[in-house]
Amino acid sequence: MWQTKSSGEARVEEAMKQLLPPCQIKCPINEDIQRTNVLLSLLPQNVDEAKFGIIQIGDYLYEKNPFFNICGYICGICELECNYKAKGGSIRRRLLKRFLSDYYSDYLNQKEELSIVKDKENVAIIGGGPGGLMCAYNLSKKGYRPTVFESSDRLGGALWLVPEYRLPQAILKTTMDNLIRLANIDVKYNARVGDGKLTFERLRNDGYRAIFVAKGTPYPRVLTFGTDVVEGQNLSGVMYGHTFLYEMSHGNLGPDYLQEKRVVVIGGGNVAFDVARTARRLGGDVTVVALESEDKNSKDAIPADEEEVRGAWEEDIRIVPSRGVRRIVGEHGRFKSIECPRCISVFDETGFNPKFDYDDLRNISGDVLIITVGQVPDRAFLQKEGLLDEKGRLAVDPFTLQSLRNPMVFIGGDVRRIGFMVEAMREGMEAAESIHRYLRGLDMREGRKRQFEPFPIPYRDTYKPPTEVIWVPPEKRRHFQLFERGLTLHEAIEEAKRCVTCGPCMSCKACISIGFEKSLYAVEVDEQRCSGCGICVYACNYSSANLLMKDGRLVSATDMFRCKSCGICVAACPSGARTLVDDNTHERIDEVIASLGK
Amino acid sequence: MTAKPKIAIAWLGSCGGCDEAVVDINKDILKVAEATDIIFWPVALDFKYHHLEALGKGEIALSIINGNVRNSEHEEVAKLIRAKTRVVLAFGACACFGGTPGMANFRSKEDIFNWVYRDAPTVVNPKGNYPQPRSQPNGKELTLPEFYEQVFALNQIIDVDYYLPGCPPPPDLILNAIDAFLEDKLPPKGSTLAPQKALCDSCKRNTTKPRNVEIHDIKRIHEVEASPDICFLAQDIICMGIATRGGCGESCININLPCRGCFGPVEGVKDAGAKYVSALASMLEAEDDKDLKKLVDKIDDLPGYLYRFSLPSSILVKKRK
Amino acid sequence: MAGFEPKLVCFSCKFGWGYLGDEAKIDSQVKNRVPIICSGKVDATHILDAFKAGADGVLILGCSEDNCHYQDGNLEAQKRVYLLQKVLAAYGIEPERVKVELSTDPEGKKIAEAVKRFSEAIKKLGPLGKAEVEVSRVA
Repeated sequence: MWQTKSSGEARVEEAMKQLLPPCQIKCPINEDIQRTNVLLSLLPQNVDEAKFGIIQIGDYLYEKNPFFNICGYICGICELECNYKAKGGSIRRRLLKRFLSDYYSDYLNQKEELSIVKDKENVAIIGGGPGGLMCAYNLSKKGYRPTVFESSDRLGGALWLVPEYRLPQAILKTTMDNLIRLANIDVKYNARVGDGKLTFERLRNDGYRAIFVAKGTPYPRVLTFGTDVVEGQNLSGVMYGHTFLYEMSHGNLGPDYLQEKRVVVIGGGNVAFDVARTARRLGGDVTVVALESEDKNSKDAIPADEEEVRGAWEEDIRIVPSRGVRRIVGEHGRFKSIECPRCISVFDETGFNPKFDYDDLRNISGDVLIITVGQVPDRAFLQKEGLLDEKGRLAVDPFTLQSLRNPMVFIGGDVRRIGFMVEAMREGMEAAESIHRYLRGLDMREGRKRQFEPFPIPYRDTYKPPTEVIWVPPEKRRHFQLFERGLTLHEAIEEAKRCVTCGPCMSCKACISIGFEKSLYAVEVDEQRCSGCGICVYACNYSSANLLMKDGRLVSATDMFRCKSCGICVAACPSGARTLVDDNTHERIDEVIASLGK
Repeated sequence: MTAKPKIAIAWLGSCGGCDEAVVDINKDILKVAEATDIIFWPVALDFKYHHLEALGKGEIALSIINGNVRNSEHEEVAKLIRAKTRVVLAFGACACFGGTPGMANFRSKEDIFNWVYRDAPTVVNPKGNYPQPRSQPNGKELTLPEFYEQVFALNQIIDVDYYLPGCPPPPDLILNAIDAFLEDKLPPKGSTLAPQKALCDSCKRNTTKPRNVEIHDIKRIHEVEASPDICFLAQDIICMGIATRGGCGESCININLPCRGCFGPVEGVKDAGAKYVSALASMLEAEDDKDLKKLVDKIDDLPGYLYRFSLPSSILVKKRK
Repeated sequence: MAGFEPKLVCFSCKFGWGYLGDEAKIDSQVKNRVPIICSGKVDATHILDAFKAGADGVLILGCSEDNCHYQDGNLEAQKRVYLLQKVLAAYGIEPERVKVELSTDPEGKKIAEAVKRFSEAIKKLGPLGKAEVEVSRVA
């Protein structure tokens, strides 16, 4: 069984201008997708034997991304840019990570603590969600002493709001608990910074030399129509999606909580669909009313993931698109119905600027109204600590994440700009780097700006379709078990094999890490022999061999960023003008041929 | 007055075309005759073998030998000339690689004799007479050179100093070679006095190749009306140019015939046919394995095409029994 | 033919054959094996050199259809061998003496089997025999 290492020649190299496969560019933390896909494809078919390899791959991913197992349930941003998408279907990277999680999450309890020496300053991290924890993790690795101030009694932040049929709470808890154990991160629960005594001043006096604010968006956004707040949001039977999911995560809603209730959910984002599908599982008869259009190709399309919409539709949830909510109508203090004009367009050149046709009105009745139109940060807190500008906006450098009002304060995650878990993690990483530079007196920007160049898909004769994803049949989905069956080992290996390694070798090196090759061999073209015949161009599937005009003659050259050092062009060259530098395969061939004579 | 350098121009297993090629340098032949003392040239001058035998060791400055070695006379003459010469130039494809008669290496001597002296349709040989190395007609002993089992390139019989390939070599390269010799500007021993790169380097049609050449069908030059401007490979016609040394001035290409490889392999390559196979594979395209086999079958006499001029100097040299 | 033990050369691609197996064990079972990163790297020249040096057969183990890590190196190898078989036939070498086998064998257990099967087939053809070819008469 192979042993993969990540030091020396097998270490992934970083560069200012990074050439990467498009999936790794799309991933906000630039995870080593290609390398781990290749390693996955080389796992044994036997589960017991494969575990050894799975743990190695997991450990490698964990190094940069201690939440990778959670990604396997709720993230898949990379798949949007996968080159294979245009050829039949993106590589199912999310499910591959879910597969790893199936084994790795248990192993986390046994994983050895990281050997880190923490001898640098204390840093206060406000908020124990993915953003704050990622910052704490990275600061720990750099030798700092982060303390997480978490206002509730559990770490994980907004991740707790993801319904269990998508992300089991056990996985979340295991990940959080082990992260703070492995990185030895100090956590203070029920510590509400901004509540009375716990101010920035106090933190500074207590010896914290920097503060990272990652408080997220703890409050739901109220429903507005135009610039007015819609009346009736405090009627009985009206609640916010955010609150609904929060209560759900604490187990406060029984399985028949919405039995025989007509539930109307306002909203078109992923959270609205989380709410809708949760409500359905609690027995409700659910209708989703979204401002956006059902036309997937329109600029005004429903923002929720296609998978969510499809899942909801399968679960008999009614979706009413292109409707705004002008009034909430109550009767005897209870919610009765909503008045919905048709929305003609959502966005225009100025941005979010919905336009309505008031002659086309619909009234939708229900027993319960759940408003899920977004979340907002704790502005009072930000205001009190002086982090807003005169116009009331957060004054923060978007690149370094340093507050423009208070240099020891750094701000990131949903509180700064709402996004996905991995985007918050990215900001946690960047903040850790910024805090490190700030405390060490280094330049805040040097070497941090990176430009990426994506690579196209290599040429193949045939492209394979993706592995089928199995969902529990809709009629059996009335519970909160995972509705998506993950991949088996065999399926995971086949799916990983589909990855065609679009990206350059230097950001992968999977083959070197397990000893297939000792280094990336450069291809040398002898220009005294190359006739510019172009055979190498036809032989190469990676568009690495190309013909150039040099002094009026066509000569071939190799783009070493695209070259995979496979040697096919070397064999195909009819002039023998190409060699792989430092490759001693031919020595072995000569040796074998010589031994034939004996 | 310093004596003019002695040169010899000899033919072994040859068609005479290479000697013809020397004459093709036209009026420059007079310049050569002026600057040198041609002491042996069977096709043009009346010197005999015993004139060669009479010379001292290394007395000949340059011997230009064309033709391959097929029989014992060729070997004897080659060795005789080598002993008397300081610089030996293998002239033409036959001397350099074995040439077209080299294709005989795909047959055994027995097969060849049976065909030539018995089975060919126009043979009338009721007594079944085959040439013998020794015979006694009318009581006198008559010898004939022994016909060897295989064709040899010149450097498989004697040490060769320089090579000038081609079938025949073109006049400009011949003149360059002779001038280099006269001016003492020859490259290191063992060199080929022709460009190092494959034909594509100088071929006008090279730039007409599409980004990807895909051969789905094999067409033979006489079966189609080939465009005179587009690369043959892009027209599904097999052309040896990619694996053949350049320097011929694309004389075949210019009359709309694909290259057949008479300049032999490119510098540094031992076996042009093997390299051509590796390269051709990258261009062949077929739907599935069955179609691929059909496509390969469609190539008429692939081995003959690949080794038309160079079979004796190929890796495997000759057909096994 | 009694006692004829064919001399074989085996090229096996690293991404398809034996990457999970014990390298030393496979080497003890199969002599004259050249592990190569991709079967598409095998040049026709290598195959001819092997026959010239006395090999009775050359076996190339590549990845199964569609599974080549370098997209189509295995097909390149197959194409080269189909072409080369025509050439070998003219040299009096039976086309069955060179073979491309496209399959996947992570453990490497099938390598020895594949070589054995190939060896049995070569035994039926008999030894390639000395070439009885003169390469050179130069002293």
